Amino acid sequence: MITVLVFAFFAAAALASAVLVVVQKNAMHSVLYLAFTVLATGGVFLCLQAEYLAAIQVLVYGGGIVVLYIFVIVIVNLQEIKAEKRKMFPKLFIFALPALLFVQIVNVLFTNRATPPAGSEAGLEFKTLAEMLFSSYIVPFELASILLLAVLIGAVIIARRRLVNDPD
Amino acid sequence: MIPINAVFGLGLALFFIGLFGVLFRKNLVIMLMCLELLLNGVNIIFAGLSHALRTPRGSIFALFVILMAVSEAAVGFALVLSFFRSKKTYDVDEMNELKG
Repeated sequence: MITVLVFAFFAAAALASAVLVVVQKNAMHSVLYLAFTVLATGGVFLCLQAEYLAAIQVLVYGGGIVVLYIFVIVIVNLQEIKAEKRKMFPKLFIFALPALLFVQIVNVLFTNRATPPAGSEAGLEFKTLAEMLFSSYIVPFELASILLLAVLIGAVIIARRRLVNDPD
Repeated sequence: MIPINAVFGLGLALFFIGLFGVLFRKNLVIMLMCLELLLNGVNIIFAGLSHALRTPRGSIFALFVILMAVSEAAVGFALVLSFFRSKKTYDVDEMNELKG
């Protein structure tokens, strides 16, 4: 029951912020709502017991793609971004949120928790996933590495500046 | 147990919101973001099916979809950058040089 409630919460968050991504005028606001959508999707994956997928979602999407979007927007319209004066309450929020999170994590780490009983099924899913990925799906896995290499080279070549003496 | 219909509904809703964005927005960067929404919707359906059918195959496929999304974002941004250098705008209506 609680899983369904958490799923409903993340689903509603993902849908609402997805709509906001589409309707925002300012591209930077869209990126922030996209980050929110991505993290909510990670929560949905956790509810569906796809923990590995959730971790990859947060690392690759939240950490990689969203930052890439922010960089591109900042690079191409630098002049539109002005430093804004923050009021006292947002400043407090900025400092209080990481501090609270830190306290919470320390609290979790140093509280003795019951270890899962031996022979439980926890982690079995992971094992099957890893074994399947490196046996049945080894060819697409290797092809994916070639794709990434091609993308690396292609993106550099497309995005580089033209030479100075190039007439184009 | 999460009902599979709810997962399908969520995935399809995200997919169609993204599709709407790709079709109706004219800002190139926001169009790329909506592509990410499309792929996220598909991934949710894969994860839900993986959960319902009790096999990790759906997760593995979703992993490859994420990989493809990363590649698409990288190359897409390179294209956006070089388009912006030549036109000084994000508007897709300016992409009209090949219309004949």
